[in-house]
Amino acid sequence: MGDHDVSHLTDEELVLHHFGETGDAAVRAHLAECDACRAALEALRRDLAAVPVPEAPERGEDYGAQVWARLRPQLTEIAPDAPVRARRRVWAPLGLAASLVLAFLLGRHWPHEKPAPTPVSAAARERILLVAVGDHLERSEMLLVELVNAGADGQPVDISTQQQYAEELVGANRLYRQTVVRAGEPGMASVLDELERLLVEVAHRPSSLTPADLADIRSRIESRGLLFRVRVIETQVREKEKESTKTAAGTNVVS
Amino acid sequence: MTRPLNDLTAGGPERLTERMVGGEDEVQAVTRARGGDTEAFRFLVERHSRGVFRLAFRMTGNEHDAEDVVQETFLKAYRKLSGFEERAQFGSWVHRIAANCAYDLLRARVRHDDRLERSEGPDGDRTLAVPADEPSPERLVAGGEVRRRLRAALARMSALERSAFTLRHVEGMSIAEISRALDLDASAAKQSVFRAVRKLRQALGEQAQWGITT
Repeated sequence: MGDHDVSHLTDEELVLHHFGETGDAAVRAHLAECDACRAALEALRRDLAAVPVPEAPERGEDYGAQVWARLRPQLTEIAPDAPVRARRRVWAPLGLAASLVLAFLLGRHWPHEKPAPTPVSAAARERILLVAVGDHLERSEMLLVELVNAGADGQPVDISTQQQYAEELVGANRLYRQTVVRAGEPGMASVLDELERLLVEVAHRPSSLTPADLADIRSRIESRGLLFRVRVIETQVREKEKESTKTAAGTNVVS
Repeated sequence: MTRPLNDLTAGGPERLTERMVGGEDEVQAVTRARGGDTEAFRFLVERHSRGVFRLAFRMTGNEHDAEDVVQETFLKAYRKLSGFEERAQFGSWVHRIAANCAYDLLRARVRHDDRLERSEGPDGDRTLAVPADEPSPERLVAGGEVRRRLRAALARMSALERSAFTLRHVEGMSIAEISRALDLDASAAKQSVFRAVRKLRQALGEQAQWGITT
């Protein structure tokens, strides 16, 4: 965006003003007096006015009824606020994998749900969940470690690989977070929430980060103890996983 | 097929009204639906389907994906009904859910940008990631250079940038609403809008006029 001239409004201020997001009297006063900023605002408005709005294809009066007809059979499988057992999400390969695992496992963790008939034992379902969450935390931890250690030589760093990784982790993280919330695990949900915010931020930063940008990310990770907290819950999950495996090996538990 | 957005007021109030359809009958329907009355939920679905579809289409850019989003939105709304505050507008609430579903879809699709680029062609409109660039003859004639540049800009946007920009610029949602809909903090939503605007302007060849500070 270039060097910032403190005597004029910034690009961000102009955008916010255009969108009516700031009631800042100082901005309005500056615009009233500054020809250059008014010209910049007009240029911004012209550009945005040129952006066409995609018009959705018309749907007839009976469209709502059509939607309902498709929806109705699926509602018989769920009650309001109950977890979905096997709902399809056709657009998210990673999310699909995670949601299949989670939808499969929710019955184990949701007390109001009738247990679905399944040949897989409750212990096996729990182990799958623990393994999936444990692996997710491990991958997230590796990413955090990479970010914390990046740019040690003070040079700009290309994090495009890490961003792709973060993007993939976000989808799965969201599903796991929602699941643990439903399962009544506020501590774990809080860590996953914090992790998700960081992953989203990393995924959407510029791919080339300056040392200052990296320091900012590092500070976010370290100041909130995120890496430590991820490690702690990963350890807890792995411990539960071991116990679950041991139990399964020692007994022929059937759900 | 497209119309210019002259300023915030062009189409804004109409879209806002679209989300705010309410009334006593709707309040009662929400109450009954929360109690498990599927007919009441049917009333809500039928009332808001078209609005949700329009939002989904504007965000995703194609009908098939928009239909998926509509379906996903109402399933999610049904499951979350007990968390809905009855004094709020059901329409606004369900539109936020729709925005979140569309964002999820876009995010998954962005990962496949390379494949989408390769699929461009006579049969490629189903998978194009850019709402306004489906290659119908009308659009090609009307669009021209501006649309080509817009498409380049949108292709450079992340799912978050595209979603945040569409919700702010097209749907007229505030930054606060966007952050709630996309499950972000306000700062991230704001930065996404900034980046989207910057990319659009750069693609339109307006870098030289991009603010004073460039």
